[in-house]
Amino acid sequence: MSTALSWTELRSSGTDLGALLQFRRTGLSGSGRRRLRIAGVAVALLTVGIVVGPAYLGGDIPRDHSGRLLAVLPSLCLGFLVLASITAVASAGGREIIPREEAVVFPVSTTTDHLGALLLAPLNIAWMVQAWALLGMTSYALGPRQWWAYELPVLLWILAATAVAQVVGWLAEGVRRGRHGIAVFRVIVVLLVLVGATLVVTDRLTPLLDRSPTARLLGLALDGASGRWSSWATGVGALAVLAVGAAVLGALPARWALHRPMREELRLEAGRHPARPLPGSDLMMMLRIDRAAVWRSVPLRRGLLVLALMPGGVALAGDLEWNMLTILPGLVASGAALLFGVNTWCLDGRGALWRDSLPVSPRIAFLAKALVLAEVLLCSAAVTLVLAAIRAGRPTAPEVTALVCSTLVVSLQVVGAGMRWSIARPFAVDLRSARATPAPPVVMAGYSARLALVTTVTGLVFSGLAELDDVRYAIGTGVLLLLWSAWRLERTAQRWDDPVTRSRVISVVAG
Amino acid sequence: MDESKQAQARVDIRGLWVRFGAVAAVRGIDLTAEAGRATALLGRNGAGKSTTMRVLAGVIPPTEGAVLVDGIDVRVDPLAVKRLTGYCPDVGGLVPRATPWEHLQLAARLRRLDGWEDRAQDLLERFELGDAAHRVTSGFSHGMGRRLSVVLATFHDPSVLLLDEPFDGVDPLGVEATLEVIADARARGAAVLVSTHMRDLAMQACETALVLRGGSTVATLMAHELVGEEGAGVYRALLD
Repeated sequence: MSTALSWTELRSSGTDLGALLQFRRTGLSGSGRRRLRIAGVAVALLTVGIVVGPAYLGGDIPRDHSGRLLAVLPSLCLGFLVLASITAVASAGGREIIPREEAVVFPVSTTTDHLGALLLAPLNIAWMVQAWALLGMTSYALGPRQWWAYELPVLLWILAATAVAQVVGWLAEGVRRGRHGIAVFRVIVVLLVLVGATLVVTDRLTPLLDRSPTARLLGLALDGASGRWSSWATGVGALAVLAVGAAVLGALPARWALHRPMREELRLEAGRHPARPLPGSDLMMMLRIDRAAVWRSVPLRRGLLVLALMPGGVALAGDLEWNMLTILPGLVASGAALLFGVNTWCLDGRGALWRDSLPVSPRIAFLAKALVLAEVLLCSAAVTLVLAAIRAGRPTAPEVTALVCSTLVVSLQVVGAGMRWSIARPFAVDLRSARATPAPPVVMAGYSARLALVTTVTGLVFSGLAELDDVRYAIGTGVLLLLWSAWRLERTAQRWDDPVTRSRVISVVAG
Repeated sequence: MDESKQAQARVDIRGLWVRFGAVAAVRGIDLTAEAGRATALLGRNGAGKSTTMRVLAGVIPPTEGAVLVDGIDVRVDPLAVKRLTGYCPDVGGLVPRATPWEHLQLAARLRRLDGWEDRAQDLLERFELGDAAHRVTSGFSHGMGRRLSVVLATFHDPSVLLLDEPFDGVDPLGVEATLEVIADARARGAAVLVSTHMRDLAMQACETALVLRGGSTVATLMAHELVGEEGAGVYRALLD
């Protein structure tokens, strides 16, 4: 197999990517396109506001916190690269412009696939929030003078890190698709976790971060702010080369990985699952089928594992305090819902029509889906909190109460939102491929933003309540929010009772 | 066969309309399917065959008209209708990450079947799926999926057997097994509806045929009228 990469191929892949995007666009309704334009303009305006706004907040430059913000900038830039890499690895190299089943009829090259995955990488709220945080804090710390000169290196780093993360994602996927790839990959992950844990336990993480290569980024930003143009231009040029180079050369590991067999998916499909005794109720039987749909899906297993371990690991390394842990369940629950919960009936796939022809109450079918989603969210959040609690010290009663209430409330909020969206906007997707998502990428970006907003605000409310001496405040707020979310979930269940609505959802997910 | 079963109308559709927004998929179809008889639904893509099947399976509600299965109105008591019918959908029909045995367990549990295991095993063997009983269906070929869908539709001995494209992509042995299933269902007094594009096989399995076009019935014919070259000509003329 040739590994050469020509400009002609790159150009033609760029053209193909444009055609695929156009094909995707034709699937949108008029209102969908309008919403997409509005969202695009809103994100662009918000980005410009975040880049420029903090610089003009007034006060003396340097500001009170400038030194502290600039001191953590290199670590945050490194963190951006690490999180982008984990995302790319977890999504098997990156998301698909069009689902694999639809793409088979088109001659889509692996280079086109790579460029598409790279284009879609920023379409998630975690990427956007981190990028905004880097740009915003630099802007705030260095003020209005020559803001473009110090923001440009940060912006180029964001692009370069995204492209490098994509390369890491393809390499990991290539390894995973090898003969003993899954075992090799697991050994690598365990070694990395052990190295990370050793650094944290021996207090060597901070000194290591201080020597991070990303420290040069800070120097580059300061060069721009103070007009040292020669060194600034050299650094900016190097970053641009890194970004373009990683984007172009990423096509090589993409080709290598995508031409290898999907061993993990094939292993799951060929595996045998011995019969178990018949459960004692209709609901338990429905739950068994839905649980199988979750735990036998490669993207769902992989995503849930990452979601359960990564935020907990970050909290463990960051030594978060109890009152800040209230934000974690929302983060994890939102991520878990984005794996399948925003299009829950896609778990049935093409079997939805047959399943709906069985004599069972729609309420039980609804309840089974909601329960499977809820248990996935709660289990992931529980693993995260156990990890995060290891170094958080001894909690007070209000802190524990606020954390429990926060976990329950955000879980119910996310289940409610997921079930609501599953009924309002179903999609026919097959969650077989590790790169599959339950809805188109643009829709996923909207869902992730909405979930992140609601759950973060809720987490912050309980974080504040954890500071109060009386547990009754957290319990009272928790009960009120639970009742509100339960009422909304009941309204969604009533919508599901309507046979016309149900038939629309079932017909769509069955394809 | 019991004569009273022969005369009994298991399915009675009067003036069925199904609309999806501005589009009418079915426009005033009338259909009667009697116990012990098999009826073929024929027609081009988009003629309304699958939509009619879905209404009878209780998956899509009728927009207008009366749809009775064993005297039960599908609009009034869809759960009771679902208990009476066995449905093989036209697309997929299988939960991708469940095994055939888990599909059968789900159906047995929800249909309140006792001692179903032997019959299920027998059907899987007849359709040559015994070795795949505990593998997830996403790894199945199209033909294997079709065969399993027929097994799932028939294994609880429904009063009304609804087979939508049961022969599509199925090998000759699978076709034979499906024809046997249809014959068995008729023998025990069930009404069978078969929607297919394979006219010859449909005529082998059924006594009558309903030809649909644009959501409406254009002809009701006896099977022998649609057999062979002459039948092909008759059918072709009805499609335009």
